[in-house]
Amino acid sequence: MKPGSGTRAVCAVLAALALTVTACSTKDDKKDDGGGANPSAPGSPGGKVKTGPGVTDTEIHIGELSDLSGPYAPLGKSVTNAEQLYFDQINAAGGICGRKVVMDVKDHGYDAQKARTAYTEISGKVVGISQMVGSAIVTQLQDDIERDGLLTLPQAWASTLLGKKVIQVTATTYDVEIINGFEYLARTAPLASGDKVGHIYTDDEFGANSALGVKYAAQAAGVSVVDQKIKPTDQDMTAAVTALKSAGVKAIIVSASPRQVGPVMVVTESAGFKVPVLSHSVGFHPQLLAVAAAPMEARLAITSPVPAISSTDLPAVAKLGSDYLAKFPGSSLDQGVMSGYAAAGIFGEDLKAACAAGDLTREGLVAAHRKQTGMDLGLGLKLDFSSNAKPPSYQTFILKVDKSKPGGLVTVEPAHEVPGAKSYTLPKTG
Amino acid sequence: MSDRLAALLRPAALGTLAGLVVLAALPFYLTDFWLLTGLFAMAAALGAIGLNLLSGTTGQLSLGHSFFLAVGAYGYIWFAGDDGRSGTHDVTGLGLPTPIALVAAVLLAGVMGGLFSPISGRLRGMYLGVATLALVFIGEHVMNNATTVTGGYNGRAAEPMTFFGFTLTDREPHLEVLGIEFGAYERLWYLALVLLVVGVVVARNLLRGRPGRALGAVRDSEIAAAVMGVPVARYRSAAFVVSSMYAGLAGVLLALVFGRVIPDYFGLALSIDYLAMIVIGGLGSVGGAVAGAAFVTVLPQLFAHYAGALPLVTATGTDGIGPQEASRYLYGAAIVLVLLFSPGGLAGLARRTAAPRRRAAGHGATSRPRTKEPQGADT
Repeated sequence: MKPGSGTRAVCAVLAALALTVTACSTKDDKKDDGGGANPSAPGSPGGKVKTGPGVTDTEIHIGELSDLSGPYAPLGKSVTNAEQLYFDQINAAGGICGRKVVMDVKDHGYDAQKARTAYTEISGKVVGISQMVGSAIVTQLQDDIERDGLLTLPQAWASTLLGKKVIQVTATTYDVEIINGFEYLARTAPLASGDKVGHIYTDDEFGANSALGVKYAAQAAGVSVVDQKIKPTDQDMTAAVTALKSAGVKAIIVSASPRQVGPVMVVTESAGFKVPVLSHSVGFHPQLLAVAAAPMEARLAITSPVPAISSTDLPAVAKLGSDYLAKFPGSSLDQGVMSGYAAAGIFGEDLKAACAAGDLTREGLVAAHRKQTGMDLGLGLKLDFSSNAKPPSYQTFILKVDKSKPGGLVTVEPAHEVPGAKSYTLPKTG
Repeated sequence: MSDRLAALLRPAALGTLAGLVVLAALPFYLTDFWLLTGLFAMAAALGAIGLNLLSGTTGQLSLGHSFFLAVGAYGYIWFAGDDGRSGTHDVTGLGLPTPIALVAAVLLAGVMGGLFSPISGRLRGMYLGVATLALVFIGEHVMNNATTVTGGYNGRAAEPMTFFGFTLTDREPHLEVLGIEFGAYERLWYLALVLLVVGVVVARNLLRGRPGRALGAVRDSEIAAAVMGVPVARYRSAAFVVSSMYAGLAGVLLALVFGRVIPDYFGLALSIDYLAMIVIGGLGSVGGAVAGAAFVTVLPQLFAHYAGALPLVTATGTDGIGPQEASRYLYGAAIVLVLLFSPGGLAGLARRTAAPRRRAAGHGATSRPRTKEPQGADT
């Protein structure tokens, strides 16, 4: 058959392609697509600061891998807004090292595949990652993060994330947090040796990590624990609460999300099983006030690595609350605002320290971060980042619910750690 | 001789060849972001071909495809991995050479599919779909609790593929081709491309030969198929085994691309994505499955990447509709449009646009006796 004109065209395209492949491609060498990979020349606005990928003469780019469309979207939104607020204030005051801080936000929707592509997209262009939502996402990417040497602050606090060179848990880990909380529960419930306490926890990293702390604290207090493992997607808490009621527990600890804490409060109330409940700060959201305000005000205590946003004795916190509402009117002041602001604060302080040391490269930023032994963000506690094997603080706050206050929470006990907290052995990670 | 040359010069064959050349050249042009998206698409294409053989050709609805993907991924990790520690768990492994681990993982997925066949042999349609749903939930539980194999919630790192000292990583050995640095994604690209081509050829040959016609007969009427001498039960379970092996291969590829595999990924949503791929691509068509996989994997990324340039779309992290949300609307609209205007999926669309052109070109292409060419020569 004589080749038709279509065939000839295809031939031409093929030949052209073959030629282009062998010719020089336009693709940049990917190892230096970071923009400003060369040290800035003396005399440039940055002075003699050493820079690497993500830092130009006028800008510092930091990455944010958030969940803005998936199950953790409310948290991701608050954290992103709070970080934006912090860096806007920094930029308004002249930036860091004479440079403007630019946030490169990517939304992964809590999907491992999207998270990996988003990470690949930004990892070459930023100096570090000041927000990464989702412990599953962090663990999935941890090998790459370590390899790329990007200082990364996850919005997850499992002690299994400790021990990494560049991944930094921003506050007390879940296990230590609940050990501190357990002491408050035992003191106020009160629990005596021989009593039983119920523990409802999700079958994931968060729940497993918290369970370690509960087990340790209960053993030390001579209290026995009745476990109720639930799935992170479960919302009906009737079975778990009924089991705990028939086991005769004196108090309940819930290591789960607001989706479970709310139902636990409602079910215990309606079953006439009005025992004290202890939860993590990630288990509370102001939205719960609409369904279970009364039982929560009466019986829920929260152990938290950050103070309540309504705290009036801490000027930095009070200013954060009013600034946030001014910038994002109508938003809810949840604990995501606090933890986002804290993460941005840590990152900002590290950038300032790296600038002062004259090294704004990725390695310089990590080195500056590890030299911080008493960082005070005005949140009522000091953070020590010198050891990557330990959480930066062993201290937590005790919060109670008060629906009349902004954010629905009040601090009832300031930052403190219980005597047993430091003797607890953190799980060994490899 | 001239006959064979003519067959090679047929527009369809040339088009396929051109497509392959383009695919082989892409690593020289694409950045890591797009390479990674392409790798996910190729892995998805392999999985979709498998599901298509099962659901599209044989008519057995499966919601458990993500389970077999997980078997492939974790199977590879376990076969290739060594004893050691991952997160807070001690893990074990067989430490096999990686190419052998790949084959073993695919076979393991096939065995799992075979083990499920007594159930698939007794259930039909929606009932089978719900039964396969159980696999996803069992898989979820096993992945989180069989920590010595999977590493639990933290997942477990996958050993990089190594061929006689040549690893598919960024280093070892350092490789530059025509001035382009060949990192992990560039190297994996060619492995994925080879696997995909093999997968497509095998599936096509399978469908065009005796087994394909038998499977089609089973889908249309089991009684009629049995009357014609097709051993229905055997073909139904064989379809499950082959489909699971494709899923297993896709799982291995995903493990290599991810570098570390976590249980969260292999949920029900993933199974649904694969069903979407074969429906959008066109049930029963191998090319359609590949196109559907590309559609489902690449389109949302494409939209998310460029939606920022659209009016009314705001930057990520600010108020309003972000690129990710916008991409979902666009993606949803694209699915509806494809299914509305081409019920046969992308494959039906391609057939319909190709048909008038062929008629216009005269008898040549359509009336050409196909028996002369070797099976699958046009892939």
